[in-house]
Amino acid sequence: MAVGSRLRHVIESQQFSRTLLEDLFSRSDEIKREPHRFMGRLNGQVMAALFYEPSTRTRLSFEAAMLRLGGQTMGTDNAREFSSAAKGETLEDTIRIVSGYADVIVLRHNEEGAAKRAAAVSSVPIINAGDGPGQHPTQALLDLYTIKDELNRIDGIKVAMVGDLAYGRTVRSLTYLLSKFKDIKIWFVAPPTVAMRNDLKAHLDERHVPWVETEDMEAVLPEVDVVYMTRIQKERFSDPADYEAVKGVYRIDKSTLEQMRKYAIVMHPLPRVDEIAPEVDDDARAAYFRQARNGLHVRMALLDRLLA
Amino acid sequence: MSITQGRLKATVMDAEQIRRSLSRIAHEIVERNRGTQDLVLVGIPAKGDHLAVRLAAKLMELERAPVAVGSIDISQHRDDRHLREPAHRATSNMPDVKGKVVVLVDDVIHHGRTARAAMDALMDFGRPRAIQLAVLIDRGHRELPIRPDYVGKNVPTSDAERIDVLISEEDGVDQAVIVAG
Repeated sequence: MAVGSRLRHVIESQQFSRTLLEDLFSRSDEIKREPHRFMGRLNGQVMAALFYEPSTRTRLSFEAAMLRLGGQTMGTDNAREFSSAAKGETLEDTIRIVSGYADVIVLRHNEEGAAKRAAAVSSVPIINAGDGPGQHPTQALLDLYTIKDELNRIDGIKVAMVGDLAYGRTVRSLTYLLSKFKDIKIWFVAPPTVAMRNDLKAHLDERHVPWVETEDMEAVLPEVDVVYMTRIQKERFSDPADYEAVKGVYRIDKSTLEQMRKYAIVMHPLPRVDEIAPEVDDDARAAYFRQARNGLHVRMALLDRLLA
Repeated sequence: MSITQGRLKATVMDAEQIRRSLSRIAHEIVERNRGTQDLVLVGIPAKGDHLAVRLAAKLMELERAPVAVGSIDISQHRDDRHLREPAHRATSNMPDVKGKVVVLVDDVIHHGRTARAAMDALMDFGRPRAIQLAVLIDRGHRELPIRPDYVGKNVPTSDAERIDVLISEEDGVDQAVIVAG
């Protein structure tokens, strides 16, 4: 689904062209700067949040975005148990019904590809808010926006992706987006058990994006502008010993922070566990809470773009 | 191969960084092997052999004991031998490796094919107790299951780029550069 200037559904991060990204980001800037100008933009419109998998934060962020634009929201957090899905209704049928009630549907599903299936039958825009291990494109948008907002540029930046790179869909989606920009360099820092998957490495090779893999985070820290931390997820390891061996390996604290550049930033999709010590929060380079807040503005820009 | 053969894109290591990296690698070698006893450094020409000599000097400083150094000709073990011009035979100069811990030394690891050929060639000289691999630069894109034990610097690269390591013994300067391939 190649999207040029027209944006219908938001399914995966590959669909965004550089022009569209720049457009969305300048709109996000405006919203951030002068939120009052956008009050009432979506008066009378209704957003349905269909969450087949719980995600309080993503859902609240979307609802806040819609409400701040003057729209209304409805939805369910347990679409799987409480809706007719429990009675055996297919996702397609549910989407057909709900798209008769709402002007936009935000969908979180446990199966990869669910958003694409929904888009095929929906008469209103579908926004993918995470489909299993697949993608989480609005997270990637807010990540990229944060990089631009904090560093004032995207071209030429050097990024270290740290932690669970095999299953972390946020790093996957963000890497796709980064590959659209110029002179990006990427360090994948992970234990071999959860190293970045080959499909994405092949994608980077096709686009001639320089990348390298290493297990040594400390050696990479002085090199990069962005350290993107992720949580290594216990449930991904079949052998508990493997998890124990890698769980505390990558941690940002005051002493690792000292090795980073002065203007570099630490990002994290949150929730964090112990990958980032709380003592880091007060450092100007800790961008993860600003990153979460940016989610609101980027989602407002996206809803505005889809519906206004 | 010289720097003038491609467009210079960036310097990834200067002389000071190369010196510091070799120092760190020397410390790591001592730490990992609890000293330098039974250790042999084997450099892969044309740059690795010079780096091996430098590492040996640093190890000598650290442990106050000499470390044997060799160099290895891998031309007969390359998997692309049939594609290359028959090269002049840079013959190997190898101390006794039987039962020793051999640290292979090279400037850059990329696909891992040179390291594989070096391991293969090394086996012709005897059976080392263990082989370790030290490289100044790891530029990624491995095509074989080979991972260096000691890395000076991880440098992200694309296939369209080349990394040239210049060393003063051959090039008059110590420098690592990325060149458009």
